[in-house]
Amino acid sequence: MFSDDGFLSEKFSDQSPSQTHIFTSFPNSAVDPDNDDFSADNKPANNLSYEYNPSNSQPSSLPLPATANTSKDEQFHIWQLEYYQAYFQIDTQQVIERLLCSMTPRPNKSYFDSTIRQNPDLYGPFWVCITFIITVAVSGNILTYFYVPDADFQIDFSKITLSAIFICFYWWFMPTCIYFFFRWHLKRIEYTFVELLCIYGYSLTTFIPISILWMIPISWLQWLLTIIGSVTSGSVLIVTFWPTTNSDKKRFNALSMLLMFFLHLAMAVGIMLVFFHVSDRNIPTRKPTTLLTTMISSAKNKI
Amino acid sequence: MDTDQAPFLTTSTQGIDMIEGDITLPSNRTNSNELSTLDEPVLDTIKRDLGAVLRKFGYAVVPRHSSTLLQQWDLWGPLILVTTLAILLQSNATKSSAGAQFAEVFTLMLIGSIAVTVNSQLLGGKISFFQSVCVLGYCLLPLLLSAFVNNILLYIPTKSTISILHIIRFLVVMAAYAWTMYASVQFLGKTQQPNRRMLVLYPIFLFYFLIAWLIILHAHPK
Repeated sequence: MFSDDGFLSEKFSDQSPSQTHIFTSFPNSAVDPDNDDFSADNKPANNLSYEYNPSNSQPSSLPLPATANTSKDEQFHIWQLEYYQAYFQIDTQQVIERLLCSMTPRPNKSYFDSTIRQNPDLYGPFWVCITFIITVAVSGNILTYFYVPDADFQIDFSKITLSAIFICFYWWFMPTCIYFFFRWHLKRIEYTFVELLCIYGYSLTTFIPISILWMIPISWLQWLLTIIGSVTSGSVLIVTFWPTTNSDKKRFNALSMLLMFFLHLAMAVGIMLVFFHVSDRNIPTRKPTTLLTTMISSAKNKI
Repeated sequence: MDTDQAPFLTTSTQGIDMIEGDITLPSNRTNSNELSTLDEPVLDTIKRDLGAVLRKFGYAVVPRHSSTLLQQWDLWGPLILVTTLAILLQSNATKSSAGAQFAEVFTLMLIGSIAVTVNSQLLGGKISFFQSVCVLGYCLLPLLLSAFVNNILLYIPTKSTISILHIIRFLVVMAAYAWTMYASVQFLGKTQQPNRRMLVLYPIFLFYFLIAWLIILHAHPK
């Protein structure tokens, strides 16, 4: 393909006759020794974009950072699959490592800096959210199943829809708020939106085993699990965000951290109350339409 | 001008040879097949397509390595399976909510297949969209059989909340679920590079788990 002095030879010109413009000479600096798959369309500035080409059969053992090269946006549009493939460059090992790190808060080490920052992915957060939605809906239904005689039980599909809306809303709403907070209030972009989605998606990992344990109909156990879960994942969130907000006024930072933690706790408590809570006066009834009345009656019982 | 044209005319009249013959297209096998399938009786077409669908069912039940399922994909099998499953999973319902329940189950399976397929494509799989939907649909057959067995078992009356029948139903559905997972791992697991295989298989596991859960919790109207 390349002649000795680094210039493309004329052989390229007959590869794709439908091309309008054919680059026949490149400077030496355009040669990328790692990239050995060139086609006639190649422009020197977009060498890196071919790493994500699905027809490129190089196994990506060292994935390039998705946030590094923005010139690939010229190649792929938002309706093309390849645009999103950039956020799925991840292996099983990395996903497992991130899941485990998001469940264990370590006081000084933010797992975000060490694992996610180079390669934010959307696989982990998305499937963690879907799993959480499914476990909440399935466990909620199984809990109802044991309280209601066999003939009257119907699978409550509205639980799936409700939990999906609630959890997806939380997953998108918090990163949006934080992103705009950083951008407009603190006037610097510390995290990209995808990284925030990543952090919040992985923070929901703790709740998946907890939502299965929520099925046990003991009231104090459910509360205990809620508190443990939200403290664990909330502290991971605080450890992640603390260094970046620490530089400015201290009281404001403490308040914002507290607010974030409180919202996280509120999310967990909300899910527990709506789907799982069993008290002596509140036995889940059978018809799906009474989900709303169950919510209202449980709210009344709390007051 | 005449002298110029004259040698042209004379040479041309001498140079032309009459060519006769027939022009026929080279007959490939596919060409003659396509032409003849238009003329064949409808029964032959139905028998051939039905045979293809049944053969694919066979591949889904006894998974062995074959490229037929992937290359000659069709969506008849998944359609039949998903519709039958949605009908079987209708439980005690008034006339108005029966339609809604069918739609819920059907939509769930449709969206689930699409999500799993898009996920495997995003992770760099070599399989196309419809091939993946085809394989996921055909591998549902064991779960459909377990739904049949479940429905039959539900006719036996039971008094207590958790009886031996519940346990049998649970085990039957779990066995069918394991069978389904094994079949789809055989077909879809190979299309992905090894260090991402679990990432692709996990959504499939979730999808079939959701369907298995629907079958387990299905209660019969009294």
